[in-house]
Amino acid sequence: MADPTILTTAADSTLPFDDAVSGAVLEATPNGLVVAADKLLELATYLRDQQGYDYLSMVTSVDWPPYFEVVYYLYGVAKPKDLLVLKVRLPDKVNSVVPSLISIWPGADLQEREVYDMMGIRFAGHPNLRRILLWDGFQGWPLRKDYKESYYEEDTKPFKSRHPDGKHLWAEDRVPWKDNITYPVAWDPDLFTQPTVQYRKIMGVDAGGNGDGKDLKTERVLINMGPQHPSTHGVFRMVVAVEGEQVVGLEPEIGYLHRCHEKIGERNTYIMNIPFTDRLDYITSMSNNLGYVLAVEKLMGLEAPERADYIRVIMAEFTRIISHFIAVGFLFNDLGAYFTPALYGLRERELILDLFEAAAGSRMMCNYMRFGGVFADLPAGWVERARDLVWNRLPRVMEQFEDLLAGNEIFLARARGVGHLSAAEAIAYSMAGPMLRASGVPYDIRKVQPYSIYDRFEFDVCCRPEGDVWARFRVRMDEIYQSLRILKQALDGLPEGPIMPPGKRQYQIRVPAGEAYSRIEGPKGELGFYVVSDGKPNPYRYHVRAPTFINLTSLEKMCVGHKIADSVVILGAIDIVLGEVDR
Amino acid sequence: MDFIRDFFVNLANAWTTWISGGLPPWAVTVVNYLVVGIILVLMPVIATLTLTWMERKVIGRIQNRIGPNRVGPWGIFQAIADAVKMLIKEDIIPDNADRPVFNLAPILIAAAAALLWAVIPFGRGMIGQDLNIGALYLIAIGSISTVAVLMAGWSSNNKFALVGAFRVVAQLLSYEVPMVLSIAAVVLLAGSMKMGQIVEGQVVPFGLVLPLALIIYLLAAIAETGRAPFDLLEADSEIVAGYFIEYSGLKFGWFYIAEYSNLMAVSAIATTLFLGGWRGPGVAAVPALGPFYFAAKTLVVIFVLMWIRGTWPRFRIDQMLAFAWKALVPASLANLLWIAVMLKLPVPPGVQWALMLAGNIGILAVTLGLLGQAAQRHAERQGLVGA
Repeated sequence: MADPTILTTAADSTLPFDDAVSGAVLEATPNGLVVAADKLLELATYLRDQQGYDYLSMVTSVDWPPYFEVVYYLYGVAKPKDLLVLKVRLPDKVNSVVPSLISIWPGADLQEREVYDMMGIRFAGHPNLRRILLWDGFQGWPLRKDYKESYYEEDTKPFKSRHPDGKHLWAEDRVPWKDNITYPVAWDPDLFTQPTVQYRKIMGVDAGGNGDGKDLKTERVLINMGPQHPSTHGVFRMVVAVEGEQVVGLEPEIGYLHRCHEKIGERNTYIMNIPFTDRLDYITSMSNNLGYVLAVEKLMGLEAPERADYIRVIMAEFTRIISHFIAVGFLFNDLGAYFTPALYGLRERELILDLFEAAAGSRMMCNYMRFGGVFADLPAGWVERARDLVWNRLPRVMEQFEDLLAGNEIFLARARGVGHLSAAEAIAYSMAGPMLRASGVPYDIRKVQPYSIYDRFEFDVCCRPEGDVWARFRVRMDEIYQSLRILKQALDGLPEGPIMPPGKRQYQIRVPAGEAYSRIEGPKGELGFYVVSDGKPNPYRYHVRAPTFINLTSLEKMCVGHKIADSVVILGAIDIVLGEVDR
Repeated sequence: MDFIRDFFVNLANAWTTWISGGLPPWAVTVVNYLVVGIILVLMPVIATLTLTWMERKVIGRIQNRIGPNRVGPWGIFQAIADAVKMLIKEDIIPDNADRPVFNLAPILIAAAAALLWAVIPFGRGMIGQDLNIGALYLIAIGSISTVAVLMAGWSSNNKFALVGAFRVVAQLLSYEVPMVLSIAAVVLLAGSMKMGQIVEGQVVPFGLVLPLALIIYLLAAIAETGRAPFDLLEADSEIVAGYFIEYSGLKFGWFYIAEYSNLMAVSAIATTLFLGGWRGPGVAAVPALGPFYFAAKTLVVIFVLMWIRGTWPRFRIDQMLAFAWKALVPASLANLLWIAVMLKLPVPPGVQWALMLAGNIGILAVTLGLLGQAAQRHAERQGLVGA
């Protein structure tokens, strides 16, 4: 499989796109084109309009010693086009500004805010540039390499202080807040006051209302749905401006479940990150594992043995079935169906989790994939149980689901035409996965750029033209059938053999310097892992392209004009998991 | 044996005779009113204790669960445990709440729920007060809960409660109209508003003669009690708990009691108006069977309502109002007109009733057909492909 991140760039003097936008590309490196900050907008417009790179997949940043690097990953989606990486280098580390791409790809909105939040790079022209994952009084830019957190010990794990004389010392046995706390430079906890948060004005209503009843004078009312709310699927907050029942403005507020995933990832060694990925989207831990190990394997140039590849595909497809059952079930919960479909979905999930438990030893936090293979072979009788599920039980359950849910008149009335997103909008907003396919874009990474061994299986890309909540439901239901199809082929073709490459298993792997981005078609969309290595035992930069986080960008677009009740359903159809959104 | 045959009425007579021995007649009346009053006021509490358990069991079974099974055999004391929990909870009143209104709302809603029971005949002669405007009384008392819910939603000073209150005004008032019209159909047919007489008149249960009126009544009743799929007042997935979001402890308990009392009451009313009330085989010979028939029929209706709750998703407010005004009201108006015309036809009652049944089914078919067409047109307007 060719490495898509390595571009075949000309060694000669002509730089790519120099004839169209002269002076935009400063340098063509194997890992992407270095672009001048002041020419970025012009080049991006040209790439989108003339070159067919219509999809801004990921925006992130790396803190290199001499400069900040903002990294843009572009694809063509309407007509599939392979990766193009743009990089903007910002040598001025104190006052680093890049133009915002939000006018070209509205999908850049939340991602640019995340870069600002983590790295302190400002985006000129962004209408709402404020902290997103961290809280609004936070000091410092945590993903900069010079940032030291409050209980900082060392740059990388394993911390020496935890292993004096070769013995392990539990962190809990020490009193961490006694002697090792370090505050950010020039920050005094006694002088700290909570800053006033400047929210964006949502459709003329000042979102700074404190809910004491005094801001009810206008006709429009602001409602805080969340962070404690039955239908926000976790600690998610929607600031909704309503006129009566009509939603006139909406802003997602996230970060309540932020766990410094990327910062921890940079402290950890490579293998330590695998269990952390379980906790991203805790419904789909197997897929998360797969995405991460594929990225590191790409850096290491490692290939998994055939049996391991098959097992990975089987696990990933079972995960997709789980995720879609839960998505569909809880969508009906949001519609007010009082848990019945959700519990029917959860019952099937239990059976699949039993299989995961038998293979990995854990039901939800599987921690099953390893670099170059999987953690353990399938136990005796596993395949028979899986076959029984795939051939007998799940098709029957799907029939029940179709009977109970798909034809329900109330559901059709509630779901059709609600939360509409056209194909062009879905691409512009960087939607991924079932959300994108429900808008009529038949884009599935398993087909477009097959990873692992997906090129060996026959399956269809499920796609609906409607672009509404009903289509998102339908796409998920159809994908369960396709997953069953893949599972049948994979279980039939499962070969004997090793599950890890030959040689002793290593806990401290050697990863050559370089950078790799691997994306998989996760159940909720394009799940990407961006890993930069400098040859040391821990990643230099570790970034997760979280599909549900980016899918949230279009929430306001989908909700405005609908009722409050619809906004809940639209959110449910995105199928967010806060563990992944907030990371 | 004769005593057993009409056990409940005979018991009441014996009791009256017994206390008449030592009390003046006016005192006997007062004592009897008090006793009946206490029994009727206890009905909401009894309804809550039994129906919460039943609902949790029924919905549990629908969802492949067992339901409560820890407190007592089959978990039957679960409701009592919940009641105790509710009693000992802290009573919280929001800072900026309108206190008198906030405190009055639960009392009002519970009172309205209790008052409904006064005109429901549990058996022949077993009725709190057989008012000659019994059906009208039901409608009038039913409207009180609208006011109470609106009071709760407004006084809580909470935006979710406020949205709930918006919906209350729209929903409860809209659904009162088809409800009244379907009750009016029964009143026309029975020729009386007296609940006792309506039951006596049901040689054939009116539900078999007027299936459309029964369906419309049940739909409107679900909406009036705020249960799924019309539970927009308290839509937990949208506005958390709607109008009673700020209530806790016993005040919340009153809303809870009113909810289940109303559930039981509308089922009892449906039984009385449409399913022949306490009538059943052998009741003429053994009147004591009446209350059991009544309870059994009521439980069946309650079960259907719970089944609906466990199965269907919720409507949206605009769809719900459109459904009331564009489908239920015209259908029930047409139904009423048809019945009135049939009653004036110079044919024997049996033929009249058969014609009414035919008309009912016809109107139902036309309504469903028009609804289907409207949905199709709507889908085409939106450019949607068929499901």
